[in-house]
Amino acid sequence: MILRPVDVDEALAHLGTGALARAGHTGAAPPEPPAGADVVDLTGVDGLHGVHPGPEGSVRVGAATTVAELAADPGLARSHPALVRTAGALATPEVRASATVGGNLLQRNRCSYLRNPAFSCLQDGGHGCPARGGDHARGVVMDSGGCVEPHPSSLAVALLAQEAQVELACAEGRRRVEAHELFAPDGGAGDHVLAPSELVVAVHLPGPFAGERVGHLRAASRSHAEWPLVEAVARLDVAGGTVERARIAVGAVAREPLRLPQVEKALVGSRTEQGIGEGVERAVAQVQQGCTPLPLTGYKVALLGAAVRGVIEEALADPGR
Amino acid sequence: MDTDVNGRRCPVPESGTAAEHLREGLGLTGAKVACGSGVCGACTVLVDGSPTASCLLPADRLAGRTVTTVEGLGGDHPVQRAFAGHDAMQCGFCTPGFVVAAAAFTDRWRAEHGDVPAGRAEIAEALSGHLCRCGAYEGIFSAVAAACAGEYDGEEQPAPPRPDAPDKAAGRARFTTDLGGTDTWEGVIVRSTEPHARVLKVAAGRARTEPGAGGPDEPVMVPLAVPDGVVRYVGQPVAAVAAPTAEAAHRAAGQVQVDYDPLPAVIGSEEARRPGAPQLYPTAEERDGAPAYGEAPTPPAPWNGNVRGPGVVSRRGATAVDRLRRAHRTEDPLLVAQEYTTAAQVHSALEPHAALARWEQDGSLSLEVSTQTVRKVVAKAAAHWGLEPAQVHVRAGHVGGGFGAKQGLTTDVLAAGELARVAGTAVRVRLSRSEELIDGGHRPGTRTKVALLADRRGRLRAMAVDSEGDGGVSVGSNVAALGALMYGKTPRRLRDFDVVTNRPPGAPMRAPGGPPLAWALEQAVDTMAERLREDPLTLRRRWDGNPKRRALYRTVADLPLWRDRPRGARTGRFRRGVGLAASTWMYMLAPQARVELRVVDGAVVARSATQDIGTGIRGVVGSTVADRLGAPAAWVHVEIGDSDAVHGTGAFGSRSTPSMGPAAAQAADRLRAALRERVPELPASGPVDEHTLKEALTAAEGVSVVGERRTDRWGQLTPSMAEDLAVGRGLSGAVHVMEVEVDTLLGRVRPTRCWAGLGVGRVYSERMARNQVEGAVVQGVGYALFEERRHDPVTGTVLSDDLEDYRLPGPGDVPETRVHFHQEGFEHVPGSGVGLGEVCAVGVAAAVGNAVHDATGWRPHALPVRPDRLLEGLR
Repeated sequence: MILRPVDVDEALAHLGTGALARAGHTGAAPPEPPAGADVVDLTGVDGLHGVHPGPEGSVRVGAATTVAELAADPGLARSHPALVRTAGALATPEVRASATVGGNLLQRNRCSYLRNPAFSCLQDGGHGCPARGGDHARGVVMDSGGCVEPHPSSLAVALLAQEAQVELACAEGRRRVEAHELFAPDGGAGDHVLAPSELVVAVHLPGPFAGERVGHLRAASRSHAEWPLVEAVARLDVAGGTVERARIAVGAVAREPLRLPQVEKALVGSRTEQGIGEGVERAVAQVQQGCTPLPLTGYKVALLGAAVRGVIEEALADPGR
Repeated sequence: MDTDVNGRRCPVPESGTAAEHLREGLGLTGAKVACGSGVCGACTVLVDGSPTASCLLPADRLAGRTVTTVEGLGGDHPVQRAFAGHDAMQCGFCTPGFVVAAAAFTDRWRAEHGDVPAGRAEIAEALSGHLCRCGAYEGIFSAVAAACAGEYDGEEQPAPPRPDAPDKAAGRARFTTDLGGTDTWEGVIVRSTEPHARVLKVAAGRARTEPGAGGPDEPVMVPLAVPDGVVRYVGQPVAAVAAPTAEAAHRAAGQVQVDYDPLPAVIGSEEARRPGAPQLYPTAEERDGAPAYGEAPTPPAPWNGNVRGPGVVSRRGATAVDRLRRAHRTEDPLLVAQEYTTAAQVHSALEPHAALARWEQDGSLSLEVSTQTVRKVVAKAAAHWGLEPAQVHVRAGHVGGGFGAKQGLTTDVLAAGELARVAGTAVRVRLSRSEELIDGGHRPGTRTKVALLADRRGRLRAMAVDSEGDGGVSVGSNVAALGALMYGKTPRRLRDFDVVTNRPPGAPMRAPGGPPLAWALEQAVDTMAERLREDPLTLRRRWDGNPKRRALYRTVADLPLWRDRPRGARTGRFRRGVGLAASTWMYMLAPQARVELRVVDGAVVARSATQDIGTGIRGVVGSTVADRLGAPAAWVHVEIGDSDAVHGTGAFGSRSTPSMGPAAAQAADRLRAALRERVPELPASGPVDEHTLKEALTAAEGVSVVGERRTDRWGQLTPSMAEDLAVGRGLSGAVHVMEVEVDTLLGRVRPTRCWAGLGVGRVYSERMARNQVEGAVVQGVGYALFEERRHDPVTGTVLSDDLEDYRLPGPGDVPETRVHFHQEGFEHVPGSGVGLGEVCAVGVAAAVGNAVHDATGWRPHALPVRPDRLLEGLR
């Protein structure tokens, strides 16, 4: 049966009975809901929609807001360009028109073993990871010992760089967590740490930097519609040509999206006209040295370094508003 | 709650996808389901005006929304007319999805910008959720830009080059996957889960296996012939089931129990070569039964374990080997010896393999098949089911692409025929995208060693090519042998090997063997030019005696793209480079080709059992007949894709046009003579005024003539061989010039511009010929940069079984392409022109390779040129 709750409490009540949540339905395969399972359609839930500006430039984005709405919001494009650019570059126009912010954060990973019924793995209740000894060419470069498929969400990378908080609701009430707390390095048998009875309600974006400069890079072989090999988002706060704060996040390299605090720290004090300095180079090299590539993902060490340097250069060259 | 579909209110089901509801429930088959995962866009419809992938959208989500399908656009939206006018399609299977998204884009663009053409980048971005496997992107770009500019607002438009283009753009063209009635059951293939095993038993579960018995809705099962009772790859068909609905069929398939006795498997070709490796075909008998992926019969060759070969083609081979060995010993700097590899490329036509079978009361068999060989299906089906050919009726009205993989009695046809026999009703079998990508055919991966030796004056002294095909369980690699056709008569030794493994079999794919040879040979030639400190064009002009390519080289020399290319070392993140490649193909024809013309209701109906897989042969026949009759194109109706008509050629071997074209011309000449008998004032040649023509056609009502394929002047090189194939005199030629921009930071290669020069004699239909060449550039770019079938190294299971993991080039990935035809050199052929579907596909990837080298100084050796390989190479 398809249940169509009109508010969050009703939705939570349904989820509490074991019904499965459905939003944009763009990550449909796998798994199809088991025959007979109830489906909770979240698209009609009041309060899950829209981009709502708040005090001091902050913004609340409802979890059922589509990626296309996010990417096309003119106010958000001015205040949070890193997020908007990331949203506009993912998947295809058709998918962005249906896919939601919450669904993007909670989507299943893209491992072809997980999607193939002939294999079983850590992610679907089995033992071991067939990709580890098999084809994992698009896998992680920071190995956490279990599943080797990187986290697939592009928005998560941008939200880390935005220092966003995610508002969750469950029967006991609502709480906010930092975006990175939604994910875990070992991931367990899933790609996020949310309980099945919990719901992402909204994403809260703090206001922009005074001197916001951004960059976004997706390394992929095709121009559009491809899961990135590495994705990187940079936000800098620049005053008088000097970087005062930096936020750098990367995706497709580990089981979770990552911030790179050592690079961020090294960037403080950089002059925009001088490009990437030695300190930043050293910090990037440290990130690369910390990589633990799999047999087929060695190339991602170089690609990660290149993407981070590239995205910083882009942000340094960004004229800002 | 209801939904509004194309202005009609209708209820919404609680289950299934929107695509299923529109297609099966409402009969709106314009939207196609090609990937089922929201990647290809063929199923796109407008939901509240927004392009939406209906294959992902749950049907219940349509409630309260307004849906416009391609049918709802009405057929006269400026975008639909522009698609027809610019020939923005080939097979047309993806067209409805493109049209729907492009219509939404165009309407929005014009509202925002007025009637100005949209740019390539904007169009590519808007259509980035769509894939065209035929690669008709150039036409799509120009059609959308023209529609944006308001060029297709008027009512009067000239007749499109492709007569079925309006039907395809309107979603009216029905493909095999669109067919089926309420009595049509759904068939599903049961496939091996073992890489190598003896099949002990196939138990049908609750399905019945004999005709007649059982309840009316009881599922049926048939075993599919597993040669010698051994399965040799994961995904090999073992059985098929059918039931009244797809859901029931899948359920029944899940209940089929196959007992296997596993045998040791060998997955990698390195592993297969090792002494003591498990053998796929231990006995001579089994080896003879190995499937072959060549289009022509595969000549015999010795076997050694899992290695078959060499098949040798030589011209003074011992001399070549002596010279190369000596050069190797003396470390001659003008010896170029290199190794190149290619990955498995999957045909992946957007319409999957599909067949609908029905046994008629009189014992005859009716088949609707998505096939490129209507006549071969008749012959093979008749042999398989013990029928006379006249008892088998095959129809293929519109075929959504083939590229070589849809020939003869493929699994879908076999299963549908068997299931329909047992079920006692019509059964259709349509492969899923996953099945298509696993077992729908592929161009095998290759490893090719090429050696070239030049002397101090830069003349070619010796050539050797050793090539190994990695075709899974199948054999028939011919990569090296094609080296006999290039660069004169220099001594050469060419050896082909196959290494068999427990992976799915290959199938002939557009210019079989050509692209991998060009990938190796043309880069080796460029390497030699570098050693000789010579321009790559100059070197080819000295080595290459082919008159067609020599004419093309002269044009290239003056081409700004080549003449003004960047020189010297390039620096910076983005580096531009230009490369070229030469290629050749045989001229083949179908001597039995026929076209029948009949005067019906004052118009001319052209019939033949050929089929159009997107090549445009329908238009070639129609325009040839109209030209020779002196009639307006609209007076000639072409009815093809029906085996009951006179013999027509299969769409393979680049032979449709040079076979059907002359037959159509002769038929028209014969009809014209018949008309003149009735109306003597009708002129013997040239246009006829409409009044006279009308009078003559009225007088000739019911007259029927058949045109044949006249023999070439001086005859053909071979007689008419099996499957109506002959090789004609003369080789066609092509030269590709490719410009790329390499992002040295992120390792991405972006082809920016391409010039394709073709020497194929007279071109029958300039726009449709150009479309073929442009599409070959797209497929070649895919081969060069993106496409790679991937498998699990332990079980051989194909992992790249959706269109996210098997990456086809999209609209944003292809170069702006210009096509040049050199139209001389085939005057001995009736019609003066030969086919071009293959020669235009051979050299594209090789030109990309040479361009990457020109841009970066690094020469790629392995396809595809992925970011990881490029970054490794530039380190």
